[in-house]
Amino acid sequence: MAPSLRPGKKRWQGLGRLAPWLLLLTGLLLVRFSKGAGFVDAYALLTRPFWPGSAQREWVEAAVDLEQRARLTLLEQDNQRLRGLLELQQSGETGRDVAAAVISRRPRDWWQQLELSRGALDGIAKDDAVLGPGGLLGRVASVTPATARVKLLTAPGHSIGVWLPRSRDHGLLVGTGATRPELRFIVRDPDVRPGDLVSTSPASTLLPPNLPVAVVQSVDDQAVPFATAVVQLIAAPEAIDWVQVRTR
Amino acid sequence: MTRLHRQPICVASALMVPMAILATPPWLGLDGVPPCWVVLWLLPWALADGPISGALAGAALGLVLDGLTLDGLTLVPALIGLGWWWGRIGRRASPVQRSFNLGLLALLGTGMLGLTLLLQLLIGAGGALEPSQWAWGLHTLACQTLVTGVLAPMLVSLQLLLWRRRVPV
Repeated sequence: MAPSLRPGKKRWQGLGRLAPWLLLLTGLLLVRFSKGAGFVDAYALLTRPFWPGSAQREWVEAAVDLEQRARLTLLEQDNQRLRGLLELQQSGETGRDVAAAVISRRPRDWWQQLELSRGALDGIAKDDAVLGPGGLLGRVASVTPATARVKLLTAPGHSIGVWLPRSRDHGLLVGTGATRPELRFIVRDPDVRPGDLVSTSPASTLLPPNLPVAVVQSVDDQAVPFATAVVQLIAAPEAIDWVQVRTR
Repeated sequence: MTRLHRQPICVASALMVPMAILATPPWLGLDGVPPCWVVLWLLPWALADGPISGALAGAALGLVLDGLTLDGLTLVPALIGLGWWWGRIGRRASPVQRSFNLGLLALLGTGMLGLTLLLQLLIGAGGALEPSQWAWGLHTLACQTLVTGVLAPMLVSLQLLLWRRRVPV
Protein backbone atom coordinates (compact mmCIF):
# COMPACT_ATOMS: atom_id res chain seq x y z
CA MET A 1 0.00 0.00 0.00
CA ALA A 2 1.33 3.45 -0.83
CA PRO A 3 2.32 5.63 2.14
CA SER A 4 -0.32 8.17 3.13
CA LEU A 5 0.26 11.70 2.00
CA ARG A 6 -1.54 12.94 5.09
CA PRO A 7 0.32 11.68 8.23
CA GLY A 8 -1.79 13.94 10.45
CA LYS A 9 -4.93 12.09 9.39
CA LYS A 10 -3.25 8.75 10.22
CA ARG A 11 -2.43 10.02 13.70
CA TRP A 12 -6.03 11.04 14.23
CA GLN A 13 -7.18 7.61 13.08
CA GLY A 14 -4.84 6.04 15.69
CA LEU A 15 -6.28 8.27 18.37
CA GLY A 16 -9.77 7.37 17.16
CA ARG A 17 -9.04 3.69 17.73
CA LEU A 18 -7.83 4.45 21.26
CA ALA A 19 -10.85 6.57 22.12
CA PRO A 20 -13.21 3.72 23.15
CA TRP A 21 -10.56 2.31 25.49
CA LEU A 22 -9.92 5.73 27.01
CA LEU A 23 -13.66 6.13 27.48
CA LEU A 24 -13.85 2.70 29.15
CA LEU A 25 -10.95 3.55 31.48
CA THR A 26 -12.60 6.88 32.34
CA GLY A 27 -15.84 5.02 33.07
CA LEU A 28 -14.10 2.52 35.34
CA LEU A 29 -12.30 5.28 37.21
CA LEU A 30 -15.59 7.12 37.62
CA VAL A 31 -17.16 3.98 39.11
CA ARG A 32 -14.17 3.58 41.43
CA PHE A 33 -14.11 7.13 42.72
CA SER A 34 -17.87 7.56 42.95
CA LYS A 35 -17.87 4.46 45.20
CA GLY A 36 -19.89 2.44 42.70
CA ALA A 37 -22.68 4.99 42.43
CA GLY A 38 -24.01 3.80 39.06
CA PHE A 39 -23.92 0.12 39.98
CA VAL A 40 -25.54 0.43 43.38
CA ASP A 41 -28.22 2.80 42.13
CA ALA A 42 -29.01 0.47 39.22
CA TYR A 43 -29.11 -2.47 41.65
CA ALA A 44 -31.50 -0.54 43.93
CA LEU A 45 -33.74 0.24 40.95
CA LEU A 46 -33.77 -3.36 39.70
CA THR A 47 -34.44 -4.90 43.12
CA ARG A 48 -37.15 -2.44 44.18
CA PRO A 49 -39.98 -4.99 43.67
CA PHE A 50 -38.18 -7.41 46.03
CA TRP A 51 -37.54 -5.04 48.93
CA PRO A 52 -38.79 -6.26 52.32
CA GLY A 53 -42.52 -5.78 52.87
CA SER A 54 -44.21 -3.33 55.21
CA ALA A 55 -44.94 -5.96 57.89
CA GLN A 56 -41.29 -6.18 58.79
CA ARG A 57 -41.10 -2.44 58.84
CA GLU A 58 -43.90 -2.27 61.41
CA TRP A 59 -42.08 -4.89 63.46
CA VAL A 60 -38.96 -2.76 63.38
CA GLU A 61 -40.92 0.34 64.36
CA ALA A 62 -42.39 -1.52 67.34
CA ALA A 63 -38.88 -2.53 68.35
CA VAL A 64 -37.76 1.06 67.96
CA ASP A 65 -40.54 2.11 70.37
CA LEU A 66 -39.19 -0.37 72.88
CA GLU A 67 -35.70 0.95 72.39
CA GLN A 68 -36.93 4.51 72.88
CA ARG A 69 -38.55 3.60 76.18
CA ALA A 70 -35.26 2.12 77.37
CA ARG A 71 -33.50 5.23 76.19
CA LEU A 72 -35.96 7.42 78.08
CA THR A 73 -34.95 5.73 81.33
CA LEU A 74 -31.33 6.36 80.51
CA LEU A 75 -32.07 9.97 79.69
CA GLU A 76 -33.85 10.54 83.00
CA GLN A 77 -30.84 9.24 84.88
CA ASP A 78 -28.65 11.36 82.71
CA ASN A 79 -30.70 14.48 83.34
CA GLN A 80 -30.36 14.00 87.09
CA ARG A 81 -26.61 13.64 86.73
CA LEU A 82 -26.37 16.70 84.57
CA ARG A 83 -28.65 18.86 86.70
CA GLY A 84 -26.81 22.02 87.49
CA LEU A 85 -24.57 21.77 84.45
CA LEU A 86 -25.28 24.11 81.58
CA GLU A 87 -24.68 24.05 77.86
CA LEU A 88 -24.13 20.32 77.58
CA GLN A 89 -25.61 18.66 74.51
CA GLN A 90 -29.10 17.60 75.50
CA SER A 91 -30.32 14.50 73.74
CA GLY A 92 -29.53 14.52 70.07
CA GLU A 93 -33.15 14.96 69.03
CA THR A 94 -32.32 17.61 66.48
CA GLY A 95 -32.16 15.15 63.56
CA ARG A 96 -34.92 13.00 62.08
CA ASP A 97 -35.10 9.27 61.50
CA VAL A 98 -35.26 8.01 57.94
CA ALA A 99 -36.50 4.42 57.53
CA ALA A 100 -34.53 2.50 54.92
CA ALA A 101 -34.63 -1.08 53.64
CA VAL A 102 -31.46 -3.17 53.63
CA ILE A 103 -31.00 -4.05 49.95
CA SER A 104 -27.66 -5.81 50.26
CA ARG A 105 -25.76 -7.11 53.25
CA ARG A 106 -22.26 -8.44 53.81
CA PRO A 107 -21.93 -8.85 57.57
CA ARG A 108 -19.36 -11.69 57.40
CA ASP A 109 -17.26 -10.74 54.40
CA TRP A 110 -13.90 -8.94 54.35
CA TRP A 111 -15.92 -5.73 54.22
CA GLN A 112 -18.68 -5.67 56.80
CA GLN A 113 -21.25 -3.40 55.29
CA LEU A 114 -24.91 -2.90 54.41
CA GLU A 115 -26.43 -1.13 51.43
CA LEU A 116 -29.57 0.88 52.21
CA SER A 117 -32.39 1.91 49.90
CA ARG A 118 -32.22 5.61 50.81
CA GLY A 119 -29.45 8.06 50.05
CA ALA A 120 -28.49 11.69 49.75
CA LEU A 121 -31.85 12.61 48.19
CA ASP A 122 -33.51 11.63 51.50
CA GLY A 123 -31.12 13.73 53.54
CA ILE A 124 -28.72 10.96 54.56
CA ALA A 125 -25.10 12.02 54.85
CA LYS A 126 -21.75 10.44 55.68
CA ASP A 127 -21.27 9.56 59.38
CA ASP A 128 -25.00 9.48 60.20
CA ALA A 129 -25.87 6.88 62.83
CA VAL A 130 -27.74 3.77 61.67
CA LEU A 131 -30.04 2.07 64.16
CA GLY A 132 -31.53 -1.39 64.10
CA PRO A 133 -34.15 -2.76 66.45
CA GLY A 134 -32.66 -2.31 69.89
CA GLY A 135 -29.61 -0.24 69.20
CA LEU A 136 -26.82 1.17 67.10
CA LEU A 137 -25.68 -0.86 64.07
CA GLY A 138 -23.05 1.32 62.47
CA ARG A 139 -22.43 4.55 60.65
CA VAL A 140 -22.94 5.70 57.08
CA ALA A 141 -19.64 5.38 55.24
CA SER A 142 -20.69 6.79 51.86
CA VAL A 143 -23.84 7.85 50.05
CA THR A 144 -25.07 7.93 46.49
CA PRO A 145 -28.24 9.80 45.47
CA ALA A 146 -30.42 6.71 46.03
CA THR A 147 -28.42 4.47 48.37
CA ALA A 148 -26.22 4.60 51.44
CA ARG A 149 -23.40 2.28 52.50
CA VAL A 150 -23.14 1.45 56.20
CA LYS A 151 -19.95 0.42 57.95
CA LEU A 152 -20.99 -2.00 60.68
CA LEU A 153 -19.68 -1.73 64.23
CA THR A 154 -18.11 -5.16 63.77
CA ALA A 155 -15.95 -4.04 60.82
CA PRO A 156 -12.22 -4.29 61.51
CA GLY A 157 -10.83 -0.98 62.67
CA HIS A 158 -14.21 0.67 63.24
CA SER A 159 -14.17 2.32 66.65
CA ILE A 160 -16.59 4.51 68.57
CA GLY A 161 -16.57 5.99 72.04
CA VAL A 162 -19.04 4.35 74.45
CA TRP A 163 -19.72 4.21 78.15
CA LEU A 164 -21.33 2.00 80.76
CA PRO A 165 -24.40 3.77 82.21
CA ARG A 166 -24.21 1.73 85.43
CA SER A 167 -20.63 2.52 86.39
CA ARG A 168 -20.12 5.55 84.12
CA ASP A 169 -16.85 4.17 82.82
CA HIS A 170 -15.81 5.23 79.34
CA GLY A 171 -14.33 2.96 76.71
CA LEU A 172 -13.67 2.44 73.06
CA LEU A 173 -15.75 -0.12 71.15
CA VAL A 174 -13.48 -1.57 68.48
CA GLY A 175 -14.60 -3.83 65.63
CA THR A 176 -12.35 -6.83 65.06
CA GLY A 177 -14.26 -8.54 62.27
CA ALA A 178 -15.83 -11.04 64.67
CA THR A 179 -19.54 -10.82 65.46
CA ARG A 180 -18.67 -9.61 68.95
CA PRO A 181 -16.64 -6.40 69.06
CA GLU A 182 -14.11 -5.60 71.77
CA LEU A 183 -14.60 -2.93 74.42
CA ARG A 184 -11.30 -1.35 75.49
CA PHE A 185 -11.43 0.67 78.67
CA ILE A 186 -9.44 3.78 79.24
CA VAL A 187 -9.30 3.49 83.01
CA ARG A 188 -7.18 1.02 84.99
CA ASP A 189 -9.86 -0.70 87.07
CA PRO A 190 -13.24 -0.30 85.41
CA ASP A 191 -16.34 -1.40 87.29
CA VAL A 192 -17.70 -3.77 84.68
CA ARG A 193 -19.35 -7.16 84.80
CA PRO A 194 -21.14 -9.44 82.31
CA GLY A 195 -24.64 -8.20 81.58
CA ASP A 196 -23.80 -4.49 81.77
CA LEU A 197 -25.42 -2.30 79.13
CA VAL A 198 -23.09 -0.39 76.80
CA SER A 199 -24.41 2.84 75.26
CA THR A 200 -23.11 5.87 73.44
CA SER A 201 -21.79 8.56 75.70
CA PRO A 202 -24.31 11.14 76.97
CA ALA A 203 -21.88 13.87 75.94
CA SER A 204 -21.24 12.40 72.49
CA THR A 205 -21.18 14.85 69.62
CA LEU A 206 -20.26 12.44 66.81
CA LEU A 207 -23.10 10.02 67.55
CA PRO A 208 -26.53 10.57 69.10
CA PRO A 209 -26.08 10.34 72.89
CA ASN A 210 -27.48 7.54 75.06
CA LEU A 211 -28.13 5.03 72.29
CA PRO A 212 -28.02 1.42 73.50
CA VAL A 213 -25.26 -0.43 71.68
CA ALA A 214 -24.36 -3.76 73.29
CA VAL A 215 -24.31 -5.95 76.38
CA VAL A 216 -21.08 -7.06 78.05
CA GLN A 217 -20.49 -10.80 77.59
CA SER A 218 -17.12 -11.39 79.26
CA VAL A 219 -14.39 -9.32 80.87
CA ASP A 220 -10.62 -9.75 80.65
CA ASP A 221 -9.12 -8.04 83.70
CA GLN A 222 -5.61 -9.20 82.85
CA ALA A 223 -5.37 -7.42 79.49
CA VAL A 224 -2.65 -4.82 79.12
CA PRO A 225 -2.53 -1.88 79.39
CA PHE A 226 -6.17 -1.77 80.53
CA ALA A 227 -9.01 -4.24 80.92
CA THR A 228 -11.04 -5.27 77.87
CA ALA A 229 -14.44 -6.86 77.45
CA VAL A 230 -16.19 -8.77 74.69
CA VAL A 231 -19.66 -7.43 73.99
CA GLN A 232 -22.71 -8.70 72.13
CA LEU A 233 -24.38 -6.11 69.90
CA ILE A 234 -28.07 -5.62 70.62
CA ALA A 235 -28.96 -5.12 66.95
CA ALA A 236 -27.81 -8.07 64.83
CA PRO A 237 -27.08 -7.07 61.21
CA GLU A 238 -27.67 -10.59 59.86
CA ALA A 239 -31.39 -10.48 60.63
CA ILE A 240 -32.41 -6.90 59.92
CA ASP A 241 -34.39 -5.87 56.86
CA TRP A 242 -35.24 -2.31 57.86
CA VAL A 243 -33.13 0.26 59.69
CA GLN A 244 -33.48 3.83 60.84
CA VAL A 245 -30.89 6.39 59.79
CA ARG A 246 -30.66 9.30 62.21
CA THR A 247 -29.81 12.31 60.11
CA ARG A 248 -28.12 15.37 61.57
CA MET B 1 -13.36 -16.45 15.04
CA THR B 2 -13.10 -13.24 17.05
CA ARG B 3 -11.48 -13.16 20.47
CA LEU B 4 -13.61 -13.23 23.61
CA HIS B 5 -13.03 -9.57 24.49
CA ARG B 6 -14.36 -8.52 21.09
CA GLN B 7 -17.74 -10.13 21.73
CA PRO B 8 -19.99 -7.64 23.55
CA ILE B 9 -22.17 -10.32 25.14
CA CYS B 10 -19.12 -11.93 26.76
CA VAL B 11 -17.80 -8.58 28.03
CA ALA B 12 -21.27 -7.69 29.33
CA SER B 13 -21.33 -10.90 31.37
CA ALA B 14 -18.80 -9.21 33.69
CA LEU B 15 -21.70 -7.10 34.98
CA MET B 16 -22.97 -10.25 36.67
CA VAL B 17 -20.07 -10.05 39.13
CA PRO B 18 -21.02 -6.82 40.98
CA MET B 19 -24.69 -7.78 40.81
CA ALA B 20 -23.96 -11.23 42.31
CA ILE B 21 -21.88 -9.63 45.07
CA LEU B 22 -24.69 -7.24 45.97
CA ALA B 23 -27.43 -9.87 45.77
CA THR B 24 -25.77 -12.92 47.38
CA PRO B 25 -28.20 -14.38 49.94
CA PRO B 26 -26.69 -15.33 53.31
CA TRP B 27 -27.48 -19.04 52.82
CA LEU B 28 -25.21 -19.23 49.76
CA GLY B 29 -22.10 -18.93 51.87
CA LEU B 30 -20.17 -20.91 54.40
CA ASP B 31 -20.89 -19.60 57.89
CA GLY B 32 -22.20 -16.43 56.26
CA VAL B 33 -19.05 -15.85 54.17
CA PRO B 34 -20.05 -15.52 50.48
CA PRO B 35 -18.13 -17.08 47.59
CA CYS B 36 -15.60 -14.98 45.69
CA TRP B 37 -17.70 -14.28 42.58
CA VAL B 38 -14.96 -12.36 40.82
CA VAL B 39 -12.70 -15.44 40.84
CA LEU B 40 -15.52 -17.56 39.40
CA TRP B 41 -15.84 -15.15 36.45
CA LEU B 42 -12.18 -14.23 35.93
CA LEU B 43 -10.82 -17.80 35.90
CA PRO B 44 -12.66 -19.01 32.77
CA TRP B 45 -12.23 -15.61 31.10
CA ALA B 46 -8.45 -15.65 31.51
CA LEU B 47 -8.15 -19.33 30.55
CA ALA B 48 -10.10 -18.68 27.35
CA ASP B 49 -8.75 -15.27 26.40
CA GLY B 50 -5.11 -15.15 27.49
CA PRO B 51 -2.89 -13.32 29.97
CA ILE B 52 -3.21 -9.73 28.73
CA SER B 53 -6.98 -9.88 28.48
CA GLY B 54 -7.08 -11.64 31.87
CA ALA B 55 -4.95 -8.99 33.55
CA LEU B 56 -6.98 -6.16 32.00
CA ALA B 57 -10.26 -7.79 33.00
CA GLY B 58 -8.86 -8.25 36.51
CA ALA B 59 -7.91 -4.58 36.68
CA ALA B 60 -11.31 -3.44 35.40
CA LEU B 61 -13.25 -5.65 37.81
CA GLY B 62 -10.94 -4.68 40.64
CA LEU B 63 -11.70 -1.00 40.08
CA VAL B 64 -15.45 -1.65 40.02
CA LEU B 65 -15.38 -3.85 43.13
CA ASP B 66 -13.22 -1.36 45.02
CA GLY B 67 -15.99 1.12 44.33
CA LEU B 68 -18.57 -1.23 45.81
CA THR B 69 -16.77 -1.79 49.10
CA LEU B 70 -15.63 0.22 52.06
CA ASP B 71 -12.33 2.06 51.79
CA GLY B 72 -9.15 0.52 53.11
CA LEU B 73 -8.59 -2.65 51.07
CA THR B 74 -8.09 -3.07 47.34
CA LEU B 75 -8.53 -6.07 45.06
CA VAL B 76 -6.81 -4.61 42.00
CA PRO B 77 -3.24 -5.97 42.35
CA ALA B 78 -4.37 -9.48 43.24
CA LEU B 79 -6.88 -9.64 40.38
CA ILE B 80 -4.33 -8.39 37.84
CA GLY B 81 -1.90 -11.07 39.02
CA LEU B 82 -4.51 -13.82 38.94
CA GLY B 83 -5.76 -12.80 35.49
CA TRP B 84 -2.22 -12.87 34.13
CA TRP B 85 -1.36 -16.21 35.79
CA TRP B 86 -4.51 -18.00 34.66
CA GLY B 87 -4.13 -16.53 31.18
CA ARG B 88 -0.61 -17.99 30.92
CA ILE B 89 -1.84 -21.36 32.10
CA GLY B 90 -4.56 -21.27 29.44
CA ARG B 91 -2.08 -20.37 26.71
CA ARG B 92 0.95 -22.48 27.53
CA ALA B 93 -0.32 -25.76 28.93
CA SER B 94 -2.77 -28.17 27.42
CA PRO B 95 -6.30 -26.77 27.85
CA VAL B 96 -7.47 -26.95 31.46
CA GLN B 97 -10.95 -28.41 31.49
CA ARG B 98 -11.24 -31.05 34.21
CA SER B 99 -13.53 -30.00 37.02
CA PHE B 100 -10.98 -30.90 39.67
CA ASN B 101 -8.30 -28.71 38.08
CA LEU B 102 -10.71 -25.79 37.73
CA GLY B 103 -11.77 -26.17 41.36
CA LEU B 104 -8.14 -26.29 42.46
CA LEU B 105 -7.24 -23.16 40.46
CA ALA B 106 -10.25 -21.30 41.92
CA LEU B 107 -9.32 -22.48 45.40
CA LEU B 108 -5.72 -21.28 45.03
CA GLY B 109 -6.83 -17.99 43.48
CA THR B 110 -9.31 -17.24 46.25
CA GLY B 111 -6.69 -18.14 48.83
CA MET B 112 -4.18 -15.75 47.27
CA LEU B 113 -6.78 -13.00 46.99
CA GLY B 114 -7.66 -13.42 50.67
CA LEU B 115 -3.99 -13.43 51.66
CA THR B 116 -3.43 -10.09 49.90
CA LEU B 117 -6.41 -8.64 51.81
CA LEU B 118 -5.05 -10.03 55.08
CA LEU B 119 -1.64 -8.57 54.25
CA GLN B 120 -3.24 -5.15 53.64
CA LEU B 121 -5.00 -5.40 57.00
CA LEU B 122 -1.70 -6.31 58.62
CA ILE B 123 0.09 -3.36 57.03
CA GLY B 124 -2.81 -1.06 57.97
CA ALA B 125 -2.56 -2.20 61.57
CA GLY B 126 1.15 -1.36 61.70
CA GLY B 127 2.35 -4.95 61.39
CA ALA B 128 0.50 -6.45 64.35
CA LEU B 129 -3.06 -7.72 64.30
CA GLU B 130 -4.99 -8.57 67.45
CA PRO B 131 -5.50 -12.31 68.03
CA SER B 132 -9.25 -11.89 67.45
CA GLN B 133 -8.53 -10.21 64.11
CA TRP B 134 -6.21 -13.05 63.10
CA ALA B 135 -8.91 -15.54 64.01
CA TRP B 136 -11.54 -13.67 62.00
CA GLY B 137 -9.21 -13.15 59.01
CA LEU B 138 -8.18 -16.80 58.81
CA HIS B 139 -11.78 -17.94 59.32
CA THR B 140 -13.02 -15.67 56.50
CA LEU B 141 -10.15 -16.79 54.26
CA ALA B 142 -10.82 -20.48 54.89
CA CYS B 143 -14.60 -20.22 54.43
CA GLN B 144 -14.38 -18.15 51.23
CA THR B 145 -11.71 -20.40 49.75
CA LEU B 146 -13.71 -23.54 50.47
CA VAL B 147 -17.07 -22.29 49.22
CA THR B 148 -15.49 -20.87 46.04
CA GLY B 149 -13.61 -24.12 45.47
CA VAL B 150 -16.86 -26.06 45.80
CA LEU B 151 -18.80 -23.85 43.37
CA ALA B 152 -16.01 -23.53 40.80
CA PRO B 153 -16.26 -26.99 39.18
CA MET B 154 -19.92 -26.34 38.34
CA LEU B 155 -19.90 -22.67 37.38
CA VAL B 156 -16.43 -22.34 35.85
CA SER B 157 -16.84 -25.51 33.76
CA LEU B 158 -20.08 -24.17 32.35
CA GLN B 159 -18.63 -20.74 31.52
CA LEU B 160 -15.51 -22.28 30.03
CA LEU B 161 -17.63 -24.56 27.85
CA LEU B 162 -19.71 -21.63 26.58
CA TRP B 163 -16.74 -19.37 25.96
CA ARG B 164 -14.54 -22.00 24.31
CA ARG B 165 -17.32 -22.65 21.83
CA ARG B 166 -17.05 -19.00 20.87
CA VAL B 167 -13.24 -18.93 20.92
CA PRO B 168 -11.80 -22.39 20.12
CA VAL B 169 -8.32 -23.01 21.57
